Amino acid sequence: MAEKLRRYEKIDFLGEGQFATVYKAKDTETDKIVAVKKIKVGSRAEARDGINRTALREIKLLQELKHENIIGLLDVFGHKSNVSLVFDFMDTDLEVIIKDNNIVLTPANIKAYMVQTLQGLDYLHFNWILHRDLKPNNLLVNEEGVLKIGDFGLAKFFGSPNRINTHHVVTRWYRAPELLYGARLYGTGIDMWAVGCILAELLLRVPFLPGESDLDQLTRIFQTLGTPTEETWPGMTDLTDFIQFKPFPGTPLKHIFTAAGDDLLDLIASLLNINPLQRCTCDQALQMPYFSNKPAPTPGPRLPLPTTVKRQPEEKPSLKRKLLESMDGASLAKRLQF
Amino acid sequence: MSREPSLLKSLDAQESISMLGINQERSDGGMNPTEPITNEALSSKMKDVIDVLAMQREKRNTLQKSITIDYTKANDNFTVSRFIFECGLKLDAHPLTIATAATLYHRFFKEAELQGYDCYLIGSTCLYLAGKVKDDPLKIRDVMNVSHNTLHRGSQPLELGDQYWSMRDAIVQAELLIMRMLKFQVMPDHPHKYMLHYLRSLQAWFGEEEWSKYPVSKTSMALLQDFHHSPAILDYPSNLIAIACINLSLQIYGVVVPLMDECDQQPWFNVFCKDLTRNKLWEIMEKIMAAYDDEPETRDN
Repeated sequence: MAEKLRRYEKIDFLGEGQFATVYKAKDTETDKIVAVKKIKVGSRAEARDGINRTALREIKLLQELKHENIIGLLDVFGHKSNVSLVFDFMDTDLEVIIKDNNIVLTPANIKAYMVQTLQGLDYLHFNWILHRDLKPNNLLVNEEGVLKIGDFGLAKFFGSPNRINTHHVVTRWYRAPELLYGARLYGTGIDMWAVGCILAELLLRVPFLPGESDLDQLTRIFQTLGTPTEETWPGMTDLTDFIQFKPFPGTPLKHIFTAAGDDLLDLIASLLNINPLQRCTCDQALQMPYFSNKPAPTPGPRLPLPTTVKRQPEEKPSLKRKLLESMDGASLAKRLQF
Repeated sequence: MSREPSLLKSLDAQESISMLGINQERSDGGMNPTEPITNEALSSKMKDVIDVLAMQREKRNTLQKSITIDYTKANDNFTVSRFIFECGLKLDAHPLTIATAATLYHRFFKEAELQGYDCYLIGSTCLYLAGKVKDDPLKIRDVMNVSHNTLHRGSQPLELGDQYWSMRDAIVQAELLIMRMLKFQVMPDHPHKYMLHYLRSLQAWFGEEEWSKYPVSKTSMALLQDFHHSPAILDYPSNLIAIACINLSLQIYGVVVPLMDECDQQPWFNVFCKDLTRNKLWEIMEKIMAAYDDEPETRDN
């Protein structure tokens, strides 16, 4: 196992989470840049529960998944009492991109992020896995503009009818109303809701429903979308934590997303359908007119990146250009360069 | 079939609970006529049948109660697997969690020398790890206490002293050892899911009435679960194991899959697995039956 340690050459410290520290490293066998997530053993008392459940979830689920828009788990190794996970290296994430005021998110850019998110999520759902923690921070983007869904620490298989789940999942702002009402049996709808909130955030550049408590979260949802009734959401009153809210009429989405076209408003409305059974699936969402209408999604390499992430200059063409420039005289070519 | 008693015993997943002195009434499922019968009709018409059934049940109960394995005396694959099952049932673990634990155990000792490790520690750890793998959380302290009490019958729960902490550390370290030995590949491909699919298809093919006459599903599932006592479970693909358990179950009850003559003599299982030969199938079935040879119940008889 010592050779594994040598295989990944530490380049940079990337960050520290609750359960792990992440390093940027170079895989000396392939020369590929990777992210090594070293699971914290923590204090002795914590270590006495053995391998971290969150890490185990990531290991067992990601080993089986392979998709362009899902973070790739390249290797797992143990050293002493540590476990390290080796992932694709990702330069940034949607949270950083949304918050970066220097970045302009055009409708085509937003469509590109949405297509990739939905394709990755469709693959997950197709394999009977719920992500359960979708938020801009977990949608990772690399310098090629490829979006990958990351952080599978809460992900879980779904579909067993008798399996009781916890409703304490998903970061509050992206949490679906059925979870806030204490539903223990839920499905892909909870991930779809989160995608709806992320889409809204891409358009507004601020979190769409930033609730300060679970109750405030429900209030914000209903103020925005209107308070549901037994007609609009049958079975709602049977949920364990159901409480009746005063009837808000809701705000038309057109007034919130003033720049959005009808096709986009339709997509938002079906992602944020208050009734989980009527919320669209990934497949249905991708079939909606929004994705086939103009503008076409921005190609990955042309998606904007934060200034902190430098896109590697395309070495070969620039070298060629330089050669051409030196031959033909540079003045004309330079005018075409941005 | 001479093996019937042990098979019937394993029908009831709760059987090992009897070791705790809890009386679980068996639900006989498909073995009894389903329509309600008055007591009078019962006593007059079915007296003999009932008596036989009652005798069998009594015999089985006494047989079971008499067998309490002393795990400290052996450390062969069967005995440790049985230990995993016993602890798993006492912990109320999901059957798939127990199956996962047994599979992890066999995989570990495929890689490692049996003499090099305390196999009961590895067994307990596999159970604990399986709980994490299957999202069926088992508390480490419960696993420790149940394992300890099963290994040393009648002992008190462990006190929070040096022995407790060193055992807990041992499990934690063994867990990492197992993970590394298995190259972090701990997600099993269970035969159960194939079996469910095959049984559903057969059920529809037989028709509800015919299918409910024999407890084929229950027995198939019991055979499969019991097969996890043997490391041979690692030697065959999951879908073939599922077919073999079903075929063995059909043989036990002498049930023939209907309308097979009209299917160009193609055996039923070729619908689910094209290139499975009868020879291969019988090889697996024999391995499934051989798993019972190590049972103390059969050894005593």
